[in-house]
Amino acid sequence: MREEDKERGYDFHKASHTETMTINMGPSHPATHGTVKFFLTLDGETIEDIDVEIGYLHRAFEKECEAQKWNGVFPYTDRLDYTASVLNNVGYAMAAEKLIGIEVPERCKYLRTMISEMARMSGHYTNVGAGALELGALTAFIYFIEARELLWDLIESICGARLTHNYVRIGGLTNDLPDGFRENVKRVFAKNRKLWDDFDIMLTKNRIFLDRMRDTGGISQKDAIAWGFTGPCLRAAGVPYDVRRAQPYLMYDRMNFDIPVGSTGDNFDRYLVRMEEIKQSMSIVEQCLEQMPEGPINVDDARWRMPSKDDSSTKMEPLIFHFKQIIEGQSIPAGEAYQAVEGANGELGFYLVSNGGGKPWKCRVRPPSFALTSALPLLVKGSMLADLIPTFDMINLIGGECDR
Amino acid sequence: MAINIKKVDRNVSMTFLERMYIPYMLHGMWVAIRHAAINMLGFFEEILAGKSKRQVMTLFYPEEYPDIPPAYRGKPTLVRRDDGLEACVACGLCEAACPPLCISIIGGERENGERYPVTYTLDGTRCIYCGFCEEVCPKEAIVMSDRFQGLCEYDREKMIYDKESLLVPREKLQKRLDTIRNKYFSEKRYR
Repeated sequence: MREEDKERGYDFHKASHTETMTINMGPSHPATHGTVKFFLTLDGETIEDIDVEIGYLHRAFEKECEAQKWNGVFPYTDRLDYTASVLNNVGYAMAAEKLIGIEVPERCKYLRTMISEMARMSGHYTNVGAGALELGALTAFIYFIEARELLWDLIESICGARLTHNYVRIGGLTNDLPDGFRENVKRVFAKNRKLWDDFDIMLTKNRIFLDRMRDTGGISQKDAIAWGFTGPCLRAAGVPYDVRRAQPYLMYDRMNFDIPVGSTGDNFDRYLVRMEEIKQSMSIVEQCLEQMPEGPINVDDARWRMPSKDDSSTKMEPLIFHFKQIIEGQSIPAGEAYQAVEGANGELGFYLVSNGGGKPWKCRVRPPSFALTSALPLLVKGSMLADLIPTFDMINLIGGECDR
Repeated sequence: MAINIKKVDRNVSMTFLERMYIPYMLHGMWVAIRHAAINMLGFFEEILAGKSKRQVMTLFYPEEYPDIPPAYRGKPTLVRRDDGLEACVACGLCEAACPPLCISIIGGERENGERYPVTYTLDGTRCIYCGFCEEVCPKEAIVMSDRFQGLCEYDREKMIYDKESLLVPREKLQKRLDTIRNKYFSEKRYR
């Protein structure tokens, strides 16, 4: 400070921060994935205040469910977290099965576990890859997209679609594994591990990447729990909570895997946790294929199955019942149930209420990224505008899931 | 049950060379160049030697086709029986099961008492390719073919398919029909 300024009490630093600037970032911004608008109040480059506007992808999922029959909801659950569709299928099917009180066959459980982990991998590939892309690392993004492409080829050979799988049904699954699936998994995973290593070389020790990710968007354990964080973002803060471990469902209690946990909850921890989870998911898929028994993939109860094509073209009784089932909907006993699964972003819960009819009376989804997005002002207030990009990437808002 | 907790190493341990930045940058460039070289040479191999299997992810699309697995759900098509008539009996199950309500049928009866669809309209703008119609059809009259091209139009009117444009001879769909009868919707799934 100059002497004459000191004398008349003039502070240049204070005087230059006279007014703030408000700008709109989004709803369609090249550096944010997902349709979301930030209303920013900036002081120079520092974020004074941020208002997050969600809802651009709202399509009334919960209301739409009330118009569909129980099985007809599955195609719509695909569109919740579209980077990891099957996880939503599995969550909804398990909630409905809890309501009915049926147990699916063992092979079906193994298949569901396997395909869930594949979906989780695909979700993490998309998130980490897109996060790198938005920080300018286009090459690394392409490597993970290649890995995801190979993975989707596998999923396509089981389910019949690349993005909207529509694979699970109440009481079972649609398809069994195709021929030569194990060899394909071996080939694809070998390639995926190579691409993972290349991605790791490109980014994990990269100075530019470290400077943007480390010590930005941090959150303490206490705050993370208070804001309802789940999934990789909570684990990055150091809380070892994972639905797969806390309330083991499907076949997770028979698998050997690690749950990666960070310490400070900043973006770099979130990145590392996700990268480690990709590796753990690969090992779970391999274990599932090893342990998987032969057998049916659907419960053999006339109320929760389709007649086979042979039966429906020759026998009268199954055909009449089939018509009744499809036109009126399968009648699930009255009651309510909540089932949570570990989604790609965190705890994905389905709360179903039935009044005994053929349609859900109420279907409520607990989307993990909604809670994460609500804490975004806490994470970025006071930091630079450039820190918003990696923080928002690692929060991983999926429009379809958050807005429903 | 052995689900362990593993702490990730956030202070990534770096060797002296990695901390020097420039050697590490060159390492990263080497990875990028390796991938680029595999992609370039992969294409040359294809052109020069005509190898069928290559290391490149992308396809020369119109000349080269992707492998479509038997499970693939493409455009829904109606099956035309060997005698030239449609296999559909206009029972309306696909209409009832269709989540986005894209199918509408008006049924009729022939002189010999056989039911048939007078009109069968499938709205391609609404269809979500979920495959429920195929799953519930008791006559195996509608199947998801492997067709994925030409489903987009500039005019929405052209995407509303009528019965004639949906009908495909049975021989062309035999593979899918066998798959769904013997694999996906057989008793093996339940017992």
